[in-house]
Amino acid sequence: MFAYLSTISLYPLWNSLRIAAITGVLVFFAGILCAYYVARLPRVIKGILDVILTLPMVLPPTVCGYFLLLVFGAKRPLGIFLQQFGIRFVMTWYGGVLSAFVVAFPLMYRTARGAFESFDENLAYSGQTLGLSNTYIFWRIRMPACRQGILAGVVLAFARALGEYGATSMLIGYTPGRTATISTTVYQLWRTNDEMGAFFWVAVNLVISAVVLLAVNLLERRQKKAVKA
Amino acid sequence: MNTIKPIALLIALMMALTALCVPAAAESSTELIVFAAASMTETLTELKTAYEAANPGVSLILSFESSGTLKTQIQEGAECDLFISAGQKQMNQLDISADASVNTEGLDMVLQGSRINLLENKVALVVPEGNPKGIESFDDLAEKLGAGTVFMAMGNSDVPVGQYTQKILAFYGLDEAALANAGTLTYGTNVKEVTTQVKAASVDCGVVYGTDAFSAGLEIIDTATAEMCGQVIYPAAVMKASRHPEAAQAFLTWLTGEEASAVFSSVGFTPVPQE
Repeated sequence: MFAYLSTISLYPLWNSLRIAAITGVLVFFAGILCAYYVARLPRVIKGILDVILTLPMVLPPTVCGYFLLLVFGAKRPLGIFLQQFGIRFVMTWYGGVLSAFVVAFPLMYRTARGAFESFDENLAYSGQTLGLSNTYIFWRIRMPACRQGILAGVVLAFARALGEYGATSMLIGYTPGRTATISTTVYQLWRTNDEMGAFFWVAVNLVISAVVLLAVNLLERRQKKAVKA
Repeated sequence: MNTIKPIALLIALMMALTALCVPAAAESSTELIVFAAASMTETLTELKTAYEAANPGVSLILSFESSGTLKTQIQEGAECDLFISAGQKQMNQLDISADASVNTEGLDMVLQGSRINLLENKVALVVPEGNPKGIESFDDLAEKLGAGTVFMAMGNSDVPVGQYTQKILAFYGLDEAALANAGTLTYGTNVKEVTTQVKAASVDCGVVYGTDAFSAGLEIIDTATAEMCGQVIYPAAVMKASRHPEAAQAFLTWLTGEEASAVFSSVGFTPVPQE
């Protein structure tokens, strides 16, 4: 068995982690900024934007994948335009970041919205009376107070990005050593009757997920201790 | 109390939706479930209309996927009356009379005496509109693959067309694993996925069947000879566990007839002459 394991390429592992990490960072900033600004919009626009920004969470990943191909496909106007700059989302690893971002964004957005809405605005007002800038209030008062919700959102988004299959498979396919992720690799290995290989990647995914969840739990416990003290 | 009402309403709505999914009373006509290779999508869909019109008591349910996937589904107990595979290997794996080296699990799912060779197809090299990499033939493709200048889509090793492509790569002495590691190959899970990728210009070229190229309006650059990948024969057989073996056999016999053969020929299949 070890002889077999030594022949496995670990590319899907690095690729999946890389995609999930980059997506996590992008989704973090995009999610909290959208949640912050959308909350301030008039009711009707807020409602419409809310639906649009949450839509990828409700749509099947294959539908999201289809839309992405419709917009960024190699023969579509936007796809052709981007190719002139050497940017191609179809069949590239960073296309995986795009598809993961689209499906993970709503998770961060909704969680951040919930966290911001339960934030006591009096804290922000007090900050303003003290002459603090909005940026300072946002990053040093609002964000720390909403830490729990924000952290939960990031973890959800990271996990979603790591496990993304449908949209990713449609947009970037399966190219070993270039676009293979853990999820697409497991499917390929299962389809080509490589039971040991498929199980190896399932185990890897379980370990990563367990480690991430453990880390999050530890973080939360340490924060609760800090608050009590 | 205020929060319970909307939640109760939502749950009631979801339950109402599930009630709508309860199937209607059983059909009185005979339902034949046909598992067919993905490359037969257009032709069988057209033939279904004709057959159902001529035989009002029969309704056909067609399921198109890669033959490898279909074989696995049949093996796992999926209901199937008739199986048409794009390769002998998948049918052999279900046929007890096939060699034990191919039918490694000793499956006995084919109704003996019903198996025939239905169609012949050709493996073709296709490119997106405009042939961006200027590929001229399989020989040219082999050279470019070796040099790493083209990106090719092919079926994976569970898909018959993928298996034929592997034979072609071996014919040219190319190492598939090396090409894959170099990032020059991308794998589709069935022939239609490969066709779509070529059509959308996501890849520089792909290996599919001549019939898929025709149906998708793709330019065929070159066709593989029997020397390169063997003859591409589609076997068909009634399944032993079929609930309507006579109806399935009747449909299979109809598929060898003139009307069906004309439809198959129109997209590029060659109907195999039946004795």
